[in-house]
Amino acid sequence: MLVEVTGTDAYGNEAYKKLFEDILSESGKATSLEKVRMLLNPGTPLFIFSALMRNVPESKTIADAVSIRTEGNEVHISISDENYAPHILSALWKMYGRDRVDQQTRFDIKIENGDEDAIAKVEIASGEDAKQEIIGSLWRVLPEGIKARHNISEGRLITIAATEEIMTEELKEKALRFHNETKGDADV
Amino acid sequence: MYDGGIYRSNELLEMIEDVGGVVLQKTRSAQMFTVTMSIPGEDRGEMERMCTSIGGTVRSVPLAGTEIAVVGPTLGRHHMPHPVCDVAEVLRQNGSITVVMGLARGRGKATSQISVTEEDIINEYDAAIYVLGNFKTCVEAKKHLFEKIRVPVILVSGPMPEGLDEYCEAIISGVGRKSERMRTPDERKKLEEISDRVDEVLRARKKMLEEDPLFVHPAELKQLLEEYEPIKESLRPAPIVLHLDGLRIKIPMHEHGKAISDMTVYGRRLGDIARISESRINDSSIIIKIMTRSEVNDADSAGKGA
Repeated sequence: MLVEVTGTDAYGNEAYKKLFEDILSESGKATSLEKVRMLLNPGTPLFIFSALMRNVPESKTIADAVSIRTEGNEVHISISDENYAPHILSALWKMYGRDRVDQQTRFDIKIENGDEDAIAKVEIASGEDAKQEIIGSLWRVLPEGIKARHNISEGRLITIAATEEIMTEELKEKALRFHNETKGDADV
Repeated sequence: MYDGGIYRSNELLEMIEDVGGVVLQKTRSAQMFTVTMSIPGEDRGEMERMCTSIGGTVRSVPLAGTEIAVVGPTLGRHHMPHPVCDVAEVLRQNGSITVVMGLARGRGKATSQISVTEEDIINEYDAAIYVLGNFKTCVEAKKHLFEKIRVPVILVSGPMPEGLDEYCEAIISGVGRKSERMRTPDERKKLEEISDRVDEVLRARKKMLEEDPLFVHPAELKQLLEEYEPIKESLRPAPIVLHLDGLRIKIPMHEHGKAISDMTVYGRRLGDIARISESRINDSSIIIKIMTRSEVNDADSAGKGA
């Protein structure tokens, strides 16, 4: 992940770069970002963060996180990505009720009279959730008192402008210019 | 400070009494036991031998007998738990009782505020450590958060601010906002630096108090208060906390204020030689500020004149 910081406070620039890297790695989202640009102007105050993701986040279905097979009237699921285990269980309970969903081990689930195709298609994480998580991390990096915020989202590029004053059209245009500069020639 | 197990700790407490020392704080957690004590210097060697023989260790804690507030701009995840709690932790390791406090509206360069109640609460402690952020202009713009605080203020920030010397006893830069624990060698060194500066500030305050000593030392008053049944029965951890110029006792003022005021200290009513008030945090604690000898003499001569 490439992080570029420009701003009026040399100490703040370095500190925010470190803070951003720490918060992103803590949230597990650092690897999903290709480039991040930050404009830090505490004098105005105006903060603009622009994050370019590696891919447009796509929604995940149960089939993406498990291997699934049918034996007789039972569907057997083996979870391959444990991160989604709670979502999978919760979706199955919703579909078939707790009585028919038997979690045999940490990764293995058996369902009485289940429909393999229907199970495989169930969405367990939407692309919007992934985007929201990145936005949440960016908000967490922003100073707490800078409450007036403006988001621009385009494909895999997210830009957040924040100020403590009124979010004027001028500031929004500045954010859009910064957004376009980050985009450059990249195909978003 | 003794740090060890509960096993044979009664021998330790007896020895503290025998050498004429006082127990400032006792904390028991399961089988672990820590005792902050004040003993004559010449008995330290003997005390160390005794503590080693019962399986514990002894170390000097320069901040013993103080209660310090560590103040962050808010309790939000932007400012807590790090580095506010890291600072509080190192102060506790050095013997102080600490309180972590987040202001209700301390965030924002132009919108930050502190209420009179918050100022009064901070003024109950021996010192206040303000932990602010990474931008110089923002730190400088937030001086109103501590300019009316009467107890010594130690400012911990990222960059070194300018023009704040008259509002703070000490300024330590190089910390700022952090999202993870201060655990690198440089960060641990910085925390030690903060603790050392707090120690210096409080030593200066102690020296100032020595010029016009308190009528009774807080530790002596603590021994008297420990005999008061409701304090003995209090289940709160550290029901009596020492301050440099008084104590905090964790029992309600409206129930016990009169009984406390009527206690006798060196032939005087406690209410006549100390200012006793309810804590501004809530009604479950009492703040006792002991008057200096000259204040007591003044009050006496004013009484005789009348």
